[in-house]
Amino acid sequence: MSFHWKNAEAPPQAAAETGTQGARFSDQLVALLPRLRRFARGLAGRAAEADDLVQAACERALAREHQFQEGTRFDSWMFRIVQTIWIDQLRAREVRKEAADGAEERLGSDAPVRRIEARLALAEIRSAVELLPPDQRTTLMLVTVEGLSYKEAAAVAGVPVGTIMSRLARARVALQQHLDAGGGVTRSAKNARAE
Amino acid sequence: MHVQSDEALVAYLDGELDDPERRDVEASLDADPALRERLAGLAQSSELVRAAFAEIAEEPVPERLIAAAGGGKGQGAAEPHQAEIVMLKRPARGAGAPPRRNPLGFAAAAGLFGLMLGTGGTLIGLTAWHMGQPTDRQIAAAAVTDAWLDNAAGYYKLTVKSGDNMLIDVPASNDSDQALQKISQNLPQQMRLPNLKPWGLTFKGARLLVVQGRPAAELVYITDNKAIGPLGLVIGATTEPDVAPTIEQRQGVNLLYWRHHGHAYALVGASNIGWLWGIANDIAWQLDAI
Repeated sequence: MSFHWKNAEAPPQAAAETGTQGARFSDQLVALLPRLRRFARGLAGRAAEADDLVQAACERALAREHQFQEGTRFDSWMFRIVQTIWIDQLRAREVRKEAADGAEERLGSDAPVRRIEARLALAEIRSAVELLPPDQRTTLMLVTVEGLSYKEAAAVAGVPVGTIMSRLARARVALQQHLDAGGGVTRSAKNARAE
Repeated sequence: MHVQSDEALVAYLDGELDDPERRDVEASLDADPALRERLAGLAQSSELVRAAFAEIAEEPVPERLIAAAGGGKGQGAAEPHQAEIVMLKRPARGAGAPPRRNPLGFAAAAGLFGLMLGTGGTLIGLTAWHMGQPTDRQIAAAAVTDAWLDNAAGYYKLTVKSGDNMLIDVPASNDSDQALQKISQNLPQQMRLPNLKPWGLTFKGARLLVVQGRPAAELVYITDNKAIGPLGLVIGATTEPDVAPTIEQRQGVNLLYWRHHGHAYALVGASNIGWLWGIANDIAWQLDAI
């Protein structure tokens, strides 16, 4: 059982009704869940892992609510928590290699890709993102998907803006090469987007 | 003009260059068709990435994450819900008479149900029904409605959280019938709109929902009186047998839920359950749903 979010881009807002600060914090967190899931999917790849990541981030955020500074961007703060947990997990479980290997296998054969249906092509693009190194993947998700500015992404990643620029450029070039190599992927993705 | 780096092209696409840098890139693009092609490729890949991840944000959010974000321990550790059944009463009024509005009566109801609300969201009632043991049928009905109520509460919270936008699919217009017509087109039954203006509640619009795989509608009412609204009235089709109005508290909001002749109703809000009781009574009367 689940809920359908129709306006995932809506910025989190405090609840209109009276409530404690804790309740407002939770409400903002709930409102941000669709974007957190999307960001986590970009990092972790698999849906179940991504949701585990989001759940862990929610629990950590609630435990550290007092550290959030009013007036700063809540989404950036949460992205940073997700990213930190994910990096910890990468180090602990070495899932990066597994994910890359799996994605490589999925992208390795041209014939199935050319027959792929439009919707699956979007999954292929996500698989191509999985092939990127973690720092490039994070930057791509923050800027290209989540729409953060370079400065905001730099704050989340804890690196200079110049590093964001170079990571982003490398990520997009690599991605374009993957898509070009995939042949039908780009075409099918266009169809999927048009649906 | 000089050779443009990938960093510059990507930053140009992202609108991150200052004016002199942007003009420099544009001068290069004007002079170099290959560079334009490269830029188009980068732009396309960015667009595809956005498209590839856009659908994820539209996916249903697993309930365990809602619970985690709300400070719960996840679905598996959810507190058991205990329901309280109340009786809605058809208001005694003549044809054409205004709906029953008895502030004293509602205040009394509010006080009564205020006492019935225990800590931790558990309802503690002292009615005759509750003093006896629930029947198997009541237990089964509670299990069936469990998910439905969670959905109704979740949708309500999402609607409220969206603020002024309210995530309305069919906004209220001067012609309420037109709004209802639109929402009804997507539902298995014709909707009717309860008039809650005497309660100070204004119809804001309707949302189309999918509750347990079946289409449903949430009629959204707003008011300046935060003690009452906003309120959501979720109406869906059901094959379950009729059930008497039942008070629940889910995810920090109150619900008054009942089923009648193939329709499931839930009045959802953060207001005192006494207000919900009174308003639900009015709704049930107007919709002939009790």
